[in-house]
Amino acid sequence: MTEMLNNDPYFIDFPSRVAQIQKQMAKENIDCYLGSRLRTMSWVADAFCPWRSYIVIPAEGTPTVFTFVIDAARVADDSWLDEDHVLGYAPLGGMDQIALISDFIKDDLGVRSGRIGYESGMSNYLPEGNITLFEYEHFKAALSGSQLVNAHHIIDKLSLIKDEGTINRFREASRIVDEGHKAVKEAISNGGWKGMTETEIAGIAALAMRRAGSVWEWSFTGGNEIASGYRTGLAGGACTPASTRELRYGEPLMVDIHAMFKLALGDHAHNYLIGSATDRQLWHANNFIDIVSLTLKTYKAGISPVSLAEQMMDFAEERGFAEYMVPGFEHGIGMLGDEWRIGLNEGPFPFWTDPEHTYQENEVLICAMQYACPDDDIGFRYENPIVIKKDKCEALSKFGLRVEVIE
Amino acid sequence: MTEKVEYLSSQWRDEVEKRLKSELSPEKMKFITTSVAFNYTNCPQGKDRYLYFKCEEGAITEVLVDEGDPPQAEFTITGNYDLFAQITQGTIKSHRALMSGKLRLKGNMVKALKLASLADRLNHIMAQIPTIY
Repeated sequence: MTEMLNNDPYFIDFPSRVAQIQKQMAKENIDCYLGSRLRTMSWVADAFCPWRSYIVIPAEGTPTVFTFVIDAARVADDSWLDEDHVLGYAPLGGMDQIALISDFIKDDLGVRSGRIGYESGMSNYLPEGNITLFEYEHFKAALSGSQLVNAHHIIDKLSLIKDEGTINRFREASRIVDEGHKAVKEAISNGGWKGMTETEIAGIAALAMRRAGSVWEWSFTGGNEIASGYRTGLAGGACTPASTRELRYGEPLMVDIHAMFKLALGDHAHNYLIGSATDRQLWHANNFIDIVSLTLKTYKAGISPVSLAEQMMDFAEERGFAEYMVPGFEHGIGMLGDEWRIGLNEGPFPFWTDPEHTYQENEVLICAMQYACPDDDIGFRYENPIVIKKDKCEALSKFGLRVEVIE
Repeated sequence: MTEKVEYLSSQWRDEVEKRLKSELSPEKMKFITTSVAFNYTNCPQGKDRYLYFKCEEGAITEVLVDEGDPPQAEFTITGNYDLFAQITQGTIKSHRALMSGKLRLKGNMVKALKLASLADRLNHIMAQIPTIY
């Protein structure tokens, strides 16, 4: 169990979070909430739960986490919850996930004929953790006296606006990412890039970030994403796990690195041209820098993803590079497990970003842009966590916005 | 002791308590405080029975055998009489019975893992008692 003082900059009042959830559960006549998504585990338990985990939130009192027994003691050590509220499941009689949790709900919480919330939906993000069909059917049978209702929206709504402790954790994760970028820049400068592979750059960044306090290159996209040459310009692409490709003179290099600090996520991409740059490459680079600058100036409370996209695509059209832009300018972010979707599940496509979502103060998202010109084997990526403010946004990574030509 | 006693009888309980208290020091029991109830189903006499142990700071303070519901315990293990009898005799290991789902455990699994070796010590001592199953 990890206790944090309320004067700690990274303090989050988890009992208050739980009370907010319970208040909403009461409004919806939910007697017990069975969370299974990674985002829910992080947001409520404040612990990294890499194994299939569940959290049972009673109508009153303290939640209980259920995770694979080999990791339960560690989760309890990291979490604000004590060891009596982090239980391990295992393939033993009465200890498998379904038996353990359904017995707990019936016997320990006394919920035998109530309404039980669960988390279902779909996601483009693989480790989302929605309840599986098998789990649903077996929980339904084991909890046959109760009604199971999809209730993911409770956590989604409450976790949308970030509190000060969460934002400070994101600030620190971004500071750590900047240390990774400094290390990469130093390593590839003055000819250091020669003979270096993308994977090596990913490792250099990882080491520097770990030294600075990161616990994981959290992204499921292969950790640190490094691309060089034609891989930077794959059509419509914005996902580049590092390969063993060697850096080459005259080619672009995209360094998109990730750090995790207390479950807050750093994610910043910086771009280089190796050795020298042609006029055409510099034209692309300037287009990219200009649209990123304009986007960062435009983000503020009150705008929506679609209004921003229209404005930015008009700019790109006017400058003649619209065809190279992947027409999205952000993705959602929260504590580990909360990625991609912006806003709530209210848009035209279920469980995708609502294009009409109105940004509010203290939402955190990743300002994300991909510029790709496959014909010229060139592309650039920008990612940076931003905090939405009343009249502006705060970009959390401070590593300078430019495309650097490395000698 | 050479005379055999009936499994789960009051004489058997007395012998279990006597042996556990004499053979298990608080040091050997790592000064733990816990309680465990074994629920026996399908007993020869028909009614379900239980075997209950309480351990305070490493000392065995209570050994109960009776019919019906056991006292509240930190851990409850439920299984049929024949299976428990085989475990007590040492012909089946308790972890095998748990892994096969023949025994059902209730309680904090992480704490149970910490106590597993101590439970084996109890079983080992009980297995030495000449018993009629």
